[in-house]
Amino acid sequence: MDKPPPSISSSRWSNVSSKEVTFADLASKRIRHGSAGADSEMLSMSQKEIKDEDARLIYINDPDRTNDTSFDFTGNSIKTAKYSVFTFLPRNLFEQFHRVAYVYFLVIAVLNQLPQLAVFGRGASIMPLAFVLLVSAIKDAYEDFRRHRSDRVENNRLALVFEDGEFRDKQWKYIRVGEVIKVVSNQTLPCDMVLLATSDPTGVVYVQTTNLDGESNLKTRYAKQETLQKATDLETFDGFIKCEKPNRNIYGFQANMEIDGRRLSLGPSNIILRGCELKNTEWALGVVVYAGSETKAMLNNSGAPSKRSRLETRMNLEIILLSLFLIALCTTAAATAAVWLRRHRDDLDTILFYRRKDYSVRPEGKNHNYYGWGWEIFFTFFMAVIVYQIMIPISLYISMELVRIGQAYFMTRDDLMYDESSKSSFQCRALNINEDLGQIKYLFSDKTGTLTDNKMEFQCACIGGVDYSDREPAESEQAGYSVEVDGIILKPKMRVRVDPSLLNLTRNGKATEEAKRANEFFLSLAACNTIVPIVTNTSDPNVKLVDYQGESPDEQALVYAAAAYGFLLIERTSGHIVINVRGEMQRYNVLGLHEFDSDRKRMSVILGCPDMSVKLFVKGADSSMFSVMDEVSYGDVIEATKKQLHAYSSDGLRTLVVGMRKLNDSEFEQWRSSFEAASTALIGRAGLLRKVAGNIETNLRIVGATAIEDKLQRGVPEAIESLRIAGIKVWVLTGDKQETAISIGFSSRLLTRNMRQIVINSNSLDSCRRSLEEANDSIASDDDESVALIIDGTSLIYVLDNDLEDVLFQVACKSSAVLCCRVAPFQKAGIVALVKNRTSDMTLAIGDGANDVSMIQMADVGVGISGQEGRQAVMASDFAMGQFRFLVPLLLVHGHWNYQRMGYMILYNFYRNAVFVLILFWYVLFTCYTLTTAITEWSSVLYSVVYTSFPTIVIGILDKNLGRRILLRHPQLYGVGQRAEGYSTTLFWYMMFDTVWQSAVIFFIPLFAYWGSTIDTSSLGDLWTIAAVVVVNLHLAMDVIRWNWIAHAAIWGSIVAACICVIVIDVIPTLPGYWAIFQVAKTWMFWFCLLAIVVTALLPRFAIKFLVEYYRPSDVRIAREVEKLGTYRESQTMVTEMNQIQDPPRR
Amino acid sequence: MPSNNTASSSAAGSSDSSTTRRNSKRPKYSKFTQQELPACKPILTPGWVILTFLVISVIFIPLGVVSLFASQDVVEIVDRYDNDCIPPPSRADKVAYIQGAANKTCTRTIVVPKKMKQPIYVYYELENFYQNHRRYVKSRSDAQLRSVRDENQIEGCKPEDDVNGQPIVPCGLIAWSLFNDTYALSKNNQPLNVSKKGIAWKSDREHKFGKNVFPKNFQMGNITGGGRLIPNVPLSEQEDLIVWMRTAALPTFRKLYGKIETDLQENDTIHVVLENNYNTYSFDGKKKLVLSTTSWLGGKNDFLGIAYLTVGGICFFLALAFTIMYLVKPRRLGDPTYLSWNRVPGGGR
Repeated sequence: MDKPPPSISSSRWSNVSSKEVTFADLASKRIRHGSAGADSEMLSMSQKEIKDEDARLIYINDPDRTNDTSFDFTGNSIKTAKYSVFTFLPRNLFEQFHRVAYVYFLVIAVLNQLPQLAVFGRGASIMPLAFVLLVSAIKDAYEDFRRHRSDRVENNRLALVFEDGEFRDKQWKYIRVGEVIKVVSNQTLPCDMVLLATSDPTGVVYVQTTNLDGESNLKTRYAKQETLQKATDLETFDGFIKCEKPNRNIYGFQANMEIDGRRLSLGPSNIILRGCELKNTEWALGVVVYAGSETKAMLNNSGAPSKRSRLETRMNLEIILLSLFLIALCTTAAATAAVWLRRHRDDLDTILFYRRKDYSVRPEGKNHNYYGWGWEIFFTFFMAVIVYQIMIPISLYISMELVRIGQAYFMTRDDLMYDESSKSSFQCRALNINEDLGQIKYLFSDKTGTLTDNKMEFQCACIGGVDYSDREPAESEQAGYSVEVDGIILKPKMRVRVDPSLLNLTRNGKATEEAKRANEFFLSLAACNTIVPIVTNTSDPNVKLVDYQGESPDEQALVYAAAAYGFLLIERTSGHIVINVRGEMQRYNVLGLHEFDSDRKRMSVILGCPDMSVKLFVKGADSSMFSVMDEVSYGDVIEATKKQLHAYSSDGLRTLVVGMRKLNDSEFEQWRSSFEAASTALIGRAGLLRKVAGNIETNLRIVGATAIEDKLQRGVPEAIESLRIAGIKVWVLTGDKQETAISIGFSSRLLTRNMRQIVINSNSLDSCRRSLEEANDSIASDDDESVALIIDGTSLIYVLDNDLEDVLFQVACKSSAVLCCRVAPFQKAGIVALVKNRTSDMTLAIGDGANDVSMIQMADVGVGISGQEGRQAVMASDFAMGQFRFLVPLLLVHGHWNYQRMGYMILYNFYRNAVFVLILFWYVLFTCYTLTTAITEWSSVLYSVVYTSFPTIVIGILDKNLGRRILLRHPQLYGVGQRAEGYSTTLFWYMMFDTVWQSAVIFFIPLFAYWGSTIDTSSLGDLWTIAAVVVVNLHLAMDVIRWNWIAHAAIWGSIVAACICVIVIDVIPTLPGYWAIFQVAKTWMFWFCLLAIVVTALLPRFAIKFLVEYYRPSDVRIAREVEKLGTYRESQTMVTEMNQIQDPPRR
Repeated sequence: MPSNNTASSSAAGSSDSSTTRRNSKRPKYSKFTQQELPACKPILTPGWVILTFLVISVIFIPLGVVSLFASQDVVEIVDRYDNDCIPPPSRADKVAYIQGAANKTCTRTIVVPKKMKQPIYVYYELENFYQNHRRYVKSRSDAQLRSVRDENQIEGCKPEDDVNGQPIVPCGLIAWSLFNDTYALSKNNQPLNVSKKGIAWKSDREHKFGKNVFPKNFQMGNITGGGRLIPNVPLSEQEDLIVWMRTAALPTFRKLYGKIETDLQENDTIHVVLENNYNTYSFDGKKKLVLSTTSWLGGKNDFLGIAYLTVGGICFFLALAFTIMYLVKPRRLGDPTYLSWNRVPGGGR
């Protein structure tokens, strides 16, 4: 992920402020997408002062009074289950009927209940709907049962609640807002509470928020100093908290506490949230502010936004076509019936098979079931709709869902996509867009944490303009630094390779100016951060490890580096830090800390040193640091440092600049007063604090610069190359500097040496326009050359939301790689939108951090990397995985498969239903245009449910047109999905022609063979049923590519199942078709018809399929031949190899 | 999130419970989960396709020939009488004649063209009679036919459901319109026995039509549709009714009238004395008397034989055509130069 400051991971730095800015910016943007917009409003609210109408009052340790107010607090029992025993039926039905498909079912079923329209019997007409509802209901009930069970477990957990002067165990569900709770180490917090006191005298607690945001490192939270002492005597604790209404921002909290008439402001660092675990702290006391469903954890417990797949959207067009067919068929039936009725209108009373009059009522007779010519037409039309209802393949929607679940199962279980290091397997969060993975054309990737590991390694230091970057480790230093304190050896947990000359320099004490600077440099690295050292035991009782926990991996790397050079940070509280400087313990008072924010792009700390001086240490991005340096005094050092920084970033390193200043008393006093005023301010506190920081961070003396390597993840270059060969345009969006970005671009093979780089780096709209147009012209002139477009965030400001977007899009389309550097998070979504709005091609965004959320939600497919940076990206994503390189199997293998399977399945479902409907329709032409079906109504219903559904689902889940290896070996095969070859209107029309042919063959061969014979309706109906089932299943069998035992079982099993069903229906003596199947199946005629039907129906398809595959082979077909005939040998060479094969085909 | 509707949150709820178990175990490797189950992957090679077509033609052409022979072996005499059996003066208003009380007896003479071996089936053939009309096929009660207890199940039978509140057995339009022309055959002036036993399906006689269900109130309504039933014979033995109740699938159909169990010689003259009672005139229905032998494949119908020969011929032709195409313009299978990115120079797009 790439943060706004170039080289520092901002959200780690201080998650609160930077994230607020991120989202606030987003909200102000014109583009609103999905939930991000709504979120951002809530998030930015935290910055504002709470208005009375938005506030809630909580009386500390007075739950009765608290809950007596009109704020409507919820209890702490949670209910994730949706239904109770009584509400299940109505609510579940209500929710199920939200889907259009079910409503269609229902309307048809209701139509069928009208006596004039009753085509099917009651049972047969309701069965399909009932079946689907039942299956869904059972699934929902089971899921809900599991939720009930986990709710019960959760609600019955115990917590220590202060009641009647002592702490007593109380079940979670009875905890109320306003109560004071004591949590001990390693306990899970039952609700959101404001800290009152902790076992630590300074009021610090450490919490692990893994359950909440997935970050495994410890976070520090503080109790207010004012409440620390008071909390010892809870009985007399009197105060109230005015806090904002519950919201889902886990990084924001805004409240005021009033105790003893004093107002204190509370921020996100004063609240601990439900689901977190208390660590490294004996106990903590807190007052419940949000309980149960109002806790931030529960509010965040909602899923990914639902998307619709491109294929499904495309499919709607064909559904409309099918509806038109349906209407056409029904109209034909109604019209022909009308003509017949009109022509025979005088005979209707007496025609033996019509008998309109019921003479039993009175001698002149009364019309029986006849409502006049017009009505008869009307009824015929709707009866036709009922009979031909499966023309609209409603079962397809259910099949698609099942298939997607199956596909998701195989994706999550894929061995290739299991991340060993984080022990996480692939996750399918969105179940609707599996097949979109096969059609991706644009890939937008974040850099840090996505392409790279986000594991920072300290590489170089530049101190006083001198570069120390000898990265060859000296042998003697392999053991790593350790120091002995009170007989116990302390070691930093991670070793850092050190530069021997720099190490010598620091060891030589403060003898030289250089050494002094080096010491200052490492002191500032050790001090100027928010890292918490945690001392852990090892197997050797005399050796202890110091583990640095912090939110920014950059800071961790710096502190470990400082430790390696002898500046071992040992303790940090809110008031002081202890640093062991080469064996000597030094205590520094932390007088003030200005947290990182993305406007300043730096942080600073004010320390009271052991020598009683007060020093300000500042660390930040070079762009923001050089402007606050004292350029007059240190101009040459700054120049030298700048040069070094340029060299570092060309190597792809992330750089930071460190500066410091000694504060004199007056400066300090002035600062302190304004800092205190700002930090207790009730209005615009964040802005005030930023201003205070800005005022003091001036005139700095440059200490040095650091360079940190952000290592590429394993397999990233290969993955990017594969994706590029697959025809996917890769855009990398990074917050890094241009030089860093380009160097990462080279190392990740996004850029290659033979690419011409077009750099857009403009500061005004006009120059931006000019350079873009120049670029556009230059690409247009020669198209053989591959071009890389590099554009920076400043230029993007002018481009986005502007007519320049079109030019940029044109340029970007012609470039083979696009690199956007110094991109602000809100711009990421803008870039994705730029592409998405201009092309119908599919976009995929991949990222791992909170600042990628907008981009992930904007893209057609969002992929989250569950890496170092928490889980916001994963929560917003459709798919989540551990490593960037898994994109290759995900897209090239699973995406390809899913797309092919789904495309085929949709076409096949259209076909199989239409064949059946047409058979029914042809018959109507021979029944005096009345809706008689020779096929029994039960077979009509079971046809799409039992006779033909299993194979299509099985094939949709399991069939593979090509093996995994060949797909990975030839990424170009991915083009099948990009060119939408698996499903198109052309294919649909071919399919429909085939459908008409096959249905005609199935219908007319028996018709002519049995014309003028003694054949009865039921026997002929049975023949048609079985013929249709066999043809439809064999049609599928012809297209199955991999015949494993499951495919065999599904296809042959379906035919057998259909025969069994037909037999079962025919052994019921009260149905007209009693024993018909046995009567007809013992004649040769039956079997001769069946054989003729099957062969004749499938013959054209078979011949054309062969001709096309043989003379106009698709890539997939060639690859299949290669795979099957083994015309490639196991060899290391990738693509070229295929051109050299000289082996003749074996057949 | 506002974009979350209730429907999606149910799915999301379950997926969230899985995300909290973030540290998942490595999926156990199995051929199934990795989708590597052993599978046969046939592809259509020219050899297979040509072979398939050859095999089909080799099977189909003999089958077609056999079917045609079977059809040719059948000797069939068809005699349409609906028009001829109305005395010429009455032909202006056939419906009036057939509904009138005049004597409907009519004599037909048939000459056997070829030797017919027994059993010779006697059919009546109706044309333009829609026994598959929706109103018609629904107008019956199978429960009532089977058991006396269900004789009141007559909801589906309108307008022939009851007479003065008494249920009609068998009810419904189908039974009501029972065919009632009768044929008395004589060969060379000797009566020719037409056996009416065993003309209906055994399964129908034994299970579908009750042995103790007797006709009730049948044809007692205001108008008579067709034949009457013998009141004290159970339905299971009224085989004409059973045959009639097996409604025909198509508007031109035959129904078995009886069987002649003696051979007929060439040029035998058969006199048929028929009672022309059944009214097909109101809808231009044709009536025919058919005497036919059967083959193992059924009656006289050349369609299937021709169809088999045609398909077999086409397959043979296709096999030939594909062989020639294969020899003239073969394509090497698995030749990577056909891949789109190898065809386009400098491809890879």
